[in-house]
Amino acid sequence: MRKKLVTKAVPPVLAAVLLTTMLTGCRFGFASDPDDPNEEEKEVPIDTSVDTFEYDSSLSGTNITLLNSKAEIQVALEKMGAEYEKKSGVHVEVMPVTDGDSPYTKVVSLYNSGTPPTASILDTTDVIALAEEKAADLTEEPWVEEAEGYITEVNGKVYSFPLCIEGRGIIYNKAVIEEMLGESFDADSVTTQADFLKLLDRLVDAGMEKPVSMAKEDWSLGAHQLQYIYETYEGTSEGAQEVIEKIKAGKLDLASYDRLSEFLDTFDILKKYNVAKGDPLGADYDEMAIDLADGKTAFWFNGNWAWPNISEAGAEEEDEYGFLPYFLNDDEDDFVNQQIQASPSKQVMLDGQIATEKEQKAAKEFLNWIVFSEIGQQMLVKTCNIIPPFQNNPYEPSDPLSADIYQKVHEGKAFNASAIVPNDHWAVLGAAMQKYLVDRSDREELTESIQEYWDEQE
Amino acid sequence: MRSKNNGKDFCMFALPGMFCFFAVVIIPFVYGVYLTLTDWNGVSKVKNFIGLKNFGGVMQDGQFWTSLLLTFKYVIFVVLIVNVLAFGIAYLLTRGIKGQNFFRAGFFTPNLIGGIVLGYIWQFVFSRVFVNIGESTGWKLFEVSWLSDPTNAFIALVVVSVWQLSGYMILIYVAGFMGLSEDVMEAASIDGASGFVKLKNIIMPLMMSSITICLFLTLSRAFMVYDVNLSLTAGAPYGTTEMAAMHVYEKAFTSRQFGVGQAEALILFIIVAVISGLQVYLTKKQEVEA
Repeated sequence: MRKKLVTKAVPPVLAAVLLTTMLTGCRFGFASDPDDPNEEEKEVPIDTSVDTFEYDSSLSGTNITLLNSKAEIQVALEKMGAEYEKKSGVHVEVMPVTDGDSPYTKVVSLYNSGTPPTASILDTTDVIALAEEKAADLTEEPWVEEAEGYITEVNGKVYSFPLCIEGRGIIYNKAVIEEMLGESFDADSVTTQADFLKLLDRLVDAGMEKPVSMAKEDWSLGAHQLQYIYETYEGTSEGAQEVIEKIKAGKLDLASYDRLSEFLDTFDILKKYNVAKGDPLGADYDEMAIDLADGKTAFWFNGNWAWPNISEAGAEEEDEYGFLPYFLNDDEDDFVNQQIQASPSKQVMLDGQIATEKEQKAAKEFLNWIVFSEIGQQMLVKTCNIIPPFQNNPYEPSDPLSADIYQKVHEGKAFNASAIVPNDHWAVLGAAMQKYLVDRSDREELTESIQEYWDEQE
Repeated sequence: MRSKNNGKDFCMFALPGMFCFFAVVIIPFVYGVYLTLTDWNGVSKVKNFIGLKNFGGVMQDGQFWTSLLLTFKYVIFVVLIVNVLAFGIAYLLTRGIKGQNFFRAGFFTPNLIGGIVLGYIWQFVFSRVFVNIGESTGWKLFEVSWLSDPTNAFIALVVVSVWQLSGYMILIYVAGFMGLSEDVMEAASIDGASGFVKLKNIIMPLMMSSITICLFLTLSRAFMVYDVNLSLTAGAPYGTTEMAAMHVYEKAFTSRQFGVGQAEALILFIIVAVISGLQVYLTKKQEVEA
């Protein structure tokens, strides 16, 4: 009899508990819910009244697919595709690469199953790996001229369309610094590593215990931080390539390479003032955004892609955030102390193997539409919130981080260099950097790991 | 006495299954073995035959052997803890204690949550909940996230796997205990066997068939662990918790060395096949009938 009572009582009690947790929206410690239905979706109005772009009417009715590996612009791209379809009659289907899947793996599996996307948004490394085998030649496209300086060439030919410029550096929260120091803060006044160190010490004296956040993720440490040693060689992609070749060939001694030791000096500074110093590998990415927005920290090493996180943590577009360069030394004239790194990151590659001529033509027109039509130009910047690599695009991005990079690019305060490294560089050397971050290895061991990594490459 | 329409029956009942089995297991497996002998990078149209060069690559890949060693360590811990725990709990849950059906369901629940989700839940527990507890109580044990120390991260992996796998094994052991004949138990008691003696000489031999199944399942699952590994630690800190299956994936898809990755997968397969085959053979020999 007792037993029956228990079994009868358990389900309703359980149901009641579940229901209350559901109704009260019980959550554990997350600052904000990205899928909050109450959140107002801010729609930037697009002016579609003027459109001087010439559409090829013979392409109407064509279907093209676009593989998107930039998850945050999925909805924006769909809107863009819909707008383009309205005008041209070409249907653009935007396929997302699911979170956690590598875009390269996805595109390769699509190729192997014989159904590649007409166009795919990929990282530069991926484009270089696939270009000659699979991609359509875009050298003669009209937009190439507008993207001067941002074109990636493979053996003298263009196979990819630079979709956006992304930049990285030390993000600062101006309001917080001013509040702590009680005076106005001019980012341009910090010009050397010593200046930066002084600023950090002043913040500490003012009561901010640890003013810096740094991500523990291997992609941040292995790609975004460590790749400075190649990219600052002379501030160009060619220079980065040159130094990589030298390291590979053993012609450059890493132990005495000044950019590496300078980089580690700066890394050590960030490490020392790291808010998660007690447990650097336990640092939580979302928490870093919250700390920066709340003023627990004043700096976060990251790029403009961090804006959605910071904004989710409570920052507004009117707030003043910007980038400090990744200072490498005390020489004011060294470009690394004046400029931040900003270069095209995502590239659109067209399939030249399986797509029909009509599909290829439609995809090419879509790319030109993004660059030359008034609607495409607006949507790239306003809807996708992208920093456009095209000179003819008159629109400016609105979030403070992208806006800052946009300014810096136009004022010559950004250097355009991106190192093309093997795909596992971030994973393998990211682990080595993590080890260094928690003091389980020293400079010597880290340097050896880097050299070893390059020695293994063919 | 075989009926004439054996062929028709075979076609009707076995062929669809056979087809699926061949399409998704046998053919990819054979193709995979073939790929270990080529230099295919996953993209190119031509596949050049390069003999056993990829296996040479495996020999040089020190990280693979490190991760394999770690996997062995992990397997030993997981298999032992899961089976001892599940056996014990199943024993308790078949003695007619109050609410035992509720407990059986409760222990089984973790098994219903997929490995990826489970990993993320526990990642939150280890790196946020525990750290918060550590901060508010000052306990050294929870001061820093378990996932940022190689040894603790490994322990975390074992704990989560045990938590996930035990429920399933409990279920199998419970079924085994329920199948024990009351007569035999009673006869043993009358003959004066009690406690440990009864367990060792009567229960264990009769439970051998359950043990065979459970050992096989835990062994193969633990060797092939990937989902929990990926979502809980992803190899962190600095690659020290990367298990063999994860290393194989990373080698093939992140380092883009398909041939070497495939060869490593084959080696892993052979190891798992040999060990679990041996285990089934040995434990089957111990099985008795009441």
